[in-house]
Amino acid sequence: MIEISGLAKRFEVENPKKLSEQEKKDPRLKGRYFQSVRDVSFTCDQGQVLGLLGPNGAGKTTTLRMLSTALRPDSGKVLIGGEDVLANPNIARKKIGFLSSSTGLYGRLSGRENISYFGELHGIPKDVINSRIEEMADLLDMQNFLDRRAENFSSGMKQKVSIARAVIHEPALVVLDEPTTGLDIMATSTVMEFIQRLKDKGTPVIFSTHHLDEVQTLCDKVTVINQGETVFNDSLAAFSALSGGQMHKSFLKTLSMDSEETSNVVNL
Amino acid sequence: MWLIFKKEFKELLRDRKTIIFMIGLPLLLFPAIFGVAMFFMSSAADKAENKVLKYAIVGEAYAPAIVQSFSDASDKFEEVAIGNETDYAKLIKNETLDFVLVIPEGFNSDVLNSGQHTLQLYLNDAGLNKVMGRVSDIVDEYSDTFQQTAFSSLGLNESQQVALLKPIEIEKQNVADDREVWGERIGGALPYFIFILCLQGAMAPAADLGAGEKERGTLETLLISPMDRHKLVLGKFFTIAVAGIITALITVSSMALWGLVLSQGMAVEFVVKIMSMIGLVDFFLIFLMLVPVVAVFAAVLLSLSIYARSFKEAQSYMGSLIMVVIFPVLIAMMPGVELKGGWVWVPLTNVALAMKELFKGTMDYFALFGIFSSTAVIAAGLIYFCIHWFNKEKVLFR
Repeated sequence: MIEISGLAKRFEVENPKKLSEQEKKDPRLKGRYFQSVRDVSFTCDQGQVLGLLGPNGAGKTTTLRMLSTALRPDSGKVLIGGEDVLANPNIARKKIGFLSSSTGLYGRLSGRENISYFGELHGIPKDVINSRIEEMADLLDMQNFLDRRAENFSSGMKQKVSIARAVIHEPALVVLDEPTTGLDIMATSTVMEFIQRLKDKGTPVIFSTHHLDEVQTLCDKVTVINQGETVFNDSLAAFSALSGGQMHKSFLKTLSMDSEETSNVVNL
Repeated sequence: MWLIFKKEFKELLRDRKTIIFMIGLPLLLFPAIFGVAMFFMSSAADKAENKVLKYAIVGEAYAPAIVQSFSDASDKFEEVAIGNETDYAKLIKNETLDFVLVIPEGFNSDVLNSGQHTLQLYLNDAGLNKVMGRVSDIVDEYSDTFQQTAFSSLGLNESQQVALLKPIEIEKQNVADDREVWGERIGGALPYFIFILCLQGAMAPAADLGAGEKERGTLETLLISPMDRHKLVLGKFFTIAVAGIITALITVSSMALWGLVLSQGMAVEFVVKIMSMIGLVDFFLIFLMLVPVVAVFAAVLLSLSIYARSFKEAQSYMGSLIMVVIFPVLIAMMPGVELKGGWVWVPLTNVALAMKELFKGTMDYFALFGIFSSTAVIAAGLIYFCIHWFNKEKVLFR
């Protein structure tokens, strides 16, 4: 079970004078500091898929970065299977597979070398890495480009290799930050199938997205963050029931906004 | 840590730009500098020596013999008639003439009665030209003849003639051997090239290993791997340092190799002299001293690269670093600065001074202790700072 409670994180604004008028009005801006995440709490059980929703700038990426130990929260707790992530980040890192929103690969390494490198960083024996790569190459349809240099990969190819890289160590929890953004229909479908497969295996998955159809298809739970705070955290059924099965209206309701206001923050 | 190093080095070897800076440049820079400089110098000297000089002599009637000597050397001099024109500077500037020789009225061989004659030579002396020398070659013959005639008429013997020409002579007894003289000239400038090459060799990988990770979006993934941050930094540091050391090794080897080629194969005089004085041990010591220097470079470059938001920003910081590196080398080139006292402990300057001393053959090997320890302490401090830097979210997520 994954338990996140009272997470908060603020950043120092390098040059407050350069902020736009709209940014200056954000209630999270306190002097030289921007309170990106103020109070985020949610839980995710074994085998569940949790969809993290929220408008741009709500604090989703910062939350996922704290969950994955890339950032250290100012306050709050993250427990994975009872293990305190903040107290033992290196132990937690072995349990988490994280895919960041900026898909980055080492261009001068092949797809296989990219995945293998992260497997080795996790201390997995070479032969195990090789067999897992073969397995994932089939699952993610990567056989025909896996041995090519990553510098020439399309966005879809990069994302597939990045996902494989994130789960090479068979983590206890998979965290994906907008995994389908910028992908074509085929690549999106492969990623969705992969998440479903993780779910079937009992691996909890937390992923942020702007696509409500993905949430409807895959998620068991929904957490909505707005202005750095959790505004909804319940089952998909409860989320859907907020507006009689209309996902986008449910989302608007959690933000206490009308459809005009939110047309820019969600793909209906 | 070695896993990081292995991966980074593999990537490095697949980068053409890095290979050029790390191997190609140091391998070709020395022959290029020597070759190009020698070619231009010798061809310019040949051109100046063999050029047919256009001239005019004013007061020809007073020195018909000199006039005759110039016209006899028609393959080297060409007389141009200038009429009554007296603005010689204009004639020379518009390249109608190369020189004008003005012979004074009353010019004759009886110098005992007429005194010293002053001939005026108008020429453009900017740039490489041999006008003065070539005119002097002809005029000096007559000067010597006039002198001999005067001495003969005075009845002076050869010893008296010499004493009269220069009653007091200072004979220079230089205790510095050739090696010291050449070492001072070459050893002072050489660290400048070597340091810059080592820095260049380490720069490309450094930019890639820090800022490149940010730009590619791989840094975040790396940070959440279960590898301790200090190991990540050390892996990257060693990659950059090894790239710099390879550059240093190739630079010094290239220097030795091309030194041998120029001295043995092409028998270039000054290179022959230098190579006969410097042994392989000296080259090895130069390389050895470059190791901690490269470590300092690697740590500074990695810190800058980690701090930079992008590859471009990293490159601009690193470009400024060249100026910082040049400064201690320039200090070492200043007169009076020697590998003694406090200078032994000044990083980079001490290595530049030591290189000069090695070339001169006057190295105090005890100074090596100061050089290695001060540079190693600085390098260790910078690596520590780098690790501290790599743990700061403010730096990593700028």
